[in-house]
Amino acid sequence: MSDGIFSIGVSGLAAAQAGLVTTGHNIANASTDGYHRQTIHQSTAIPLATGSGFFGQGTQVDTVLRAYSGFVESQLVDAQSQASYYATYHAQLSRIDNIVANGSVGLSPALQDFFSAAQAVAADPSSIPSRQLMLSAGEALTSRFNALAARFDDIRDGIDSQLTTTVGEINSYAQQIAAINGRILSVQQNATQPPNDLLDQRDLLVSQLNGLVGATAVDQNDGTINLFIGNGQSLVVGQQSMKLAVAPSLNDPSQLDVGYVSAGAVVPLNQASLRGGSLGGLLAFRGNDLDAAQNALGRVAAGLAMTFNDQHQLGQDLSGALGGAFFAAPAPEVFGRSNNVGTAVVAAVISDASALTASDYRLTYTGANYTVTRLSDAATTTYASLPQTLDGVTLSLASGVAGVGDSFLIQPLRSAARNMDMRIEDPARIAAAAPVRTAASGANAGSGTINAGTVNAPPPPNANLQQLVTITFTSATTFDVSGTGTGNPTGVAYTAGANISYNGWTVQLQGSAATGDVFTIAPNSGGVADGRNALLLGGLQTQNTLAGGTTGYQGAYSQLVAEVGNKTRQIDIMSLAQKTVVDQALQTQQSLSGVNLDEEAANLLRYQQAYQAAGKMIQVASSLFQTLLELGR
Amino acid sequence: MRISTAMIYGMGIESVQQRQQDMLRLQQQLATGQRILVPSDDPVASATALDLKQSQALNSQYQLNGGNAISQLTLEEGALATVTSVLQDVRTLAVYAGNASLGNSDRAALAVELKSRYDELLAVANHGNGNGQYLFSGYQGATQPFAQASPGNVAYAGDDGQRMIQIGPSRTIPINDSGNAVFLAIKNGNGVFAAAPGALNTGGGIISPGTVTNPASWNAPGNPKDFTIKFHVSGSVASPQTTYDIVDNVNNISLLTGAAPGAGPYLRAYTAGSTISLKTQAPPDTNATPFDYGAMVTVEGAPANGDTFSVKASVNRDVFSTMHDLITALQSGVTANAGSAAAYQNSLNASMLGLDNALENVLKVRADIGARLKEVDTEQSAGADLSLHYDGRLSELQELDYAKAISELTMQQTQLDAAQKSFLKVTSLNLFSLL
Repeated sequence: MSDGIFSIGVSGLAAAQAGLVTTGHNIANASTDGYHRQTIHQSTAIPLATGSGFFGQGTQVDTVLRAYSGFVESQLVDAQSQASYYATYHAQLSRIDNIVANGSVGLSPALQDFFSAAQAVAADPSSIPSRQLMLSAGEALTSRFNALAARFDDIRDGIDSQLTTTVGEINSYAQQIAAINGRILSVQQNATQPPNDLLDQRDLLVSQLNGLVGATAVDQNDGTINLFIGNGQSLVVGQQSMKLAVAPSLNDPSQLDVGYVSAGAVVPLNQASLRGGSLGGLLAFRGNDLDAAQNALGRVAAGLAMTFNDQHQLGQDLSGALGGAFFAAPAPEVFGRSNNVGTAVVAAVISDASALTASDYRLTYTGANYTVTRLSDAATTTYASLPQTLDGVTLSLASGVAGVGDSFLIQPLRSAARNMDMRIEDPARIAAAAPVRTAASGANAGSGTINAGTVNAPPPPNANLQQLVTITFTSATTFDVSGTGTGNPTGVAYTAGANISYNGWTVQLQGSAATGDVFTIAPNSGGVADGRNALLLGGLQTQNTLAGGTTGYQGAYSQLVAEVGNKTRQIDIMSLAQKTVVDQALQTQQSLSGVNLDEEAANLLRYQQAYQAAGKMIQVASSLFQTLLELGR
Repeated sequence: MRISTAMIYGMGIESVQQRQQDMLRLQQQLATGQRILVPSDDPVASATALDLKQSQALNSQYQLNGGNAISQLTLEEGALATVTSVLQDVRTLAVYAGNASLGNSDRAALAVELKSRYDELLAVANHGNGNGQYLFSGYQGATQPFAQASPGNVAYAGDDGQRMIQIGPSRTIPINDSGNAVFLAIKNGNGVFAAAPGALNTGGGIISPGTVTNPASWNAPGNPKDFTIKFHVSGSVASPQTTYDIVDNVNNISLLTGAAPGAGPYLRAYTAGSTISLKTQAPPDTNATPFDYGAMVTVEGAPANGDTFSVKASVNRDVFSTMHDLITALQSGVTANAGSAAAYQNSLNASMLGLDNALENVLKVRADIGARLKEVDTEQSAGADLSLHYDGRLSELQELDYAKAISELTMQQTQLDAAQKSFLKVTSLNLFSLL
């Protein structure tokens, strides 16, 4: 009997010791990342059946368990992956958000200065200092556009390098997870007990990987896990890990895309399928917001350059010559897909600034038709032939023949702000004056008056614009027109206030005319004090020239600011909300798996006391045995 | 629910950090005075503020333009005030020149004074605008508008252009008037027609400017607007019989007979100072087609046989020619014969009429300038109101409510304090410290 007492005491001692060791392990790892609190699972030993019943044989430690729930863990990992996605997304958006409305780097102050300078030229057109100021303000405006574009390009380059780094980290995590899979496999083959700390390490790696990109873990029977990303591409299978890589985008060679390394080649992945994690955040930001913001800025630049140039070309400069281009004309970019089979080179030209949208376009050739897709809303238009104009952009086949399935990316506005430049350096070349002036003959007997006249848009102006034209009344109700380019019509009916338009100008006559009255439209030679065209140029600031005539330059820019602000705010709120989700998931996970030091202290006392008690039992057994020995003496 | 020790620390630290983040933001707001630090703080207000700032900048540009317009218009008004006073002086001198007691030497002295007035007027017409541009040259600011080929023969080199300036969102106003409009486009005669003596007149007939009695008849399409009144004198010197005819120079007929103009005596008898009406008077007229051109003139004195007076539609006569004519008349003086005195008087009358017309024209331009100045003033004060409104709106949108922000700061301080202290308390509770 005393043998039983002894062995029960020993089993108690061993169990208490195991408890103490586990408690100590918990205390030591209280702040280890990914650690799950461990407990021993204790049970009674197989009892001894006797005639007097079953006698307990003490205790035994079955296993060491970690407090773990797959459901809670996967919730936490998902939540953290989403949180990381939103945090990255928000961090990137904030960079644009900080730029666009900033008083010192935003566009608005430069835009206002430029048009103020144009107004100053209108007020005093012959003043070289005023003109010089307008040129300087123009330089400041173009360099502001350039600087903003450079910021956007920086952000885009930054994304490329972050993608490269992130893909490297993902590959490294995949390798480590595969390695741990291998170790778990070898441990599991030798023992049936769970390798708790290895599992913790692997779970931690999976959680960290999910911070980079959303990955689905699938448990295998042998204790390993398989990981899949995107649309089911395997990243880890057992002890094997696959590789991701970055490569220049097929569609847009100016940026990097994430691909999957297969048989030594990089197979492009659908970028939109890479959801969650910071990689997903980067790709979503680039695809949804950076492109749109950069195009919106480009639209302001291209719209300003084109509409301002158009009006400027209708004017006359200080030397009496017709105005040229004030800004460099925007040049849309077209990228042929690198695996196109045909020889076609597609050219794109902006033909109508007011119709421009902030979207990019994709042109594909089906063999019979050309399909143009507006990428912002995936609206498609099909054409049997080129050239065609869509949303103010004219697409044409510059050379070659398109092959079936060939695809071209058209970015009408991406580079517009970057390439914004002045075309005028001489202040005298600013076309502040109108090229024609009108006069009523002093000998006129009638009370008819002629207004100052306007030059007809769009440029280029009529070749005979600056020919002398005479309107001579042959009666009170009819007049003859003579001058090169007019065709010298006779007997034209006169209506007071009606437009009279020849040679690219339009004038109106008012009042009653008498036979023999003469009005002339002449070149505005020497018209250095005339600021009519500068007034029209200044007036462009408040004209709704963009977005189908619904908004002006400032309005279009404000729209960009509002869109970026709204999106940033929205993602910020999503990010905060996600943080709450993570907090809750973390609390749930920690309440199950976290180490509480007070609890461990209590356990320490408990196992210590159990140990002492078991020790006492051995002492009792020993004294019982002593009693027997003394009996025989 | 179990609480893990890591949670106690993690959440404690996080709540402290959150408070600190809030306070930093509030501190930035307080330091800049701006409620919106980045557009995402309030996207709609940010975009609205940008648009408002453009309106604000435009408004101040219009204010600036308005100031510019006022200075230009005031400059022109000053020049035209000088023109007015010169013309008034000249007119006074012309009235004085009609004084019968003057001798030819007095007239010559007047001519010298008038000559200097003429030069003054020419100088004013070539005034600059203070920016190195000519005031009265239209668009051709660098071209001197008036150049004198010979006395009284002044050519205008400018054009009819009016320089415009934008003083409001939808208002541009001219800030100059062309030299043509101020000095050249002045009708002679009474503004509708001009009555003038024939160059070869020898008699003492003095013609009045005449009046339009019926504008509709004068402006009727059939009016040739070119007539000659011919006088015929017969009888003795003691009792002369003076008659006159009215000839339509365009159709070359006598209006009184309806036939080709013949030699006198004519149908209508002349009495000095009586009205000569361009309207059928039957009898004595025999013209079967009655006529009525709605105008009349008066001839005083005794015209000689064969003297003529013309009545023609007014044409533009520049103020320099008008003044030069007056100077020439004064320089020529008066000789003993009756024709000379009448020619002198007719010339004075025409000059005075021309001066009156010029004055009226200048005053009309000045009234126009006054109206424009008034308009600029109105726009300026409207702009000033608008500026205040924009300021208020911008401050509403962007600026920080300090009272609210400071009370919030105090509250956050308290919260931070509580978070820090409670963190210390919670973490100091530890069973191990009791072991």
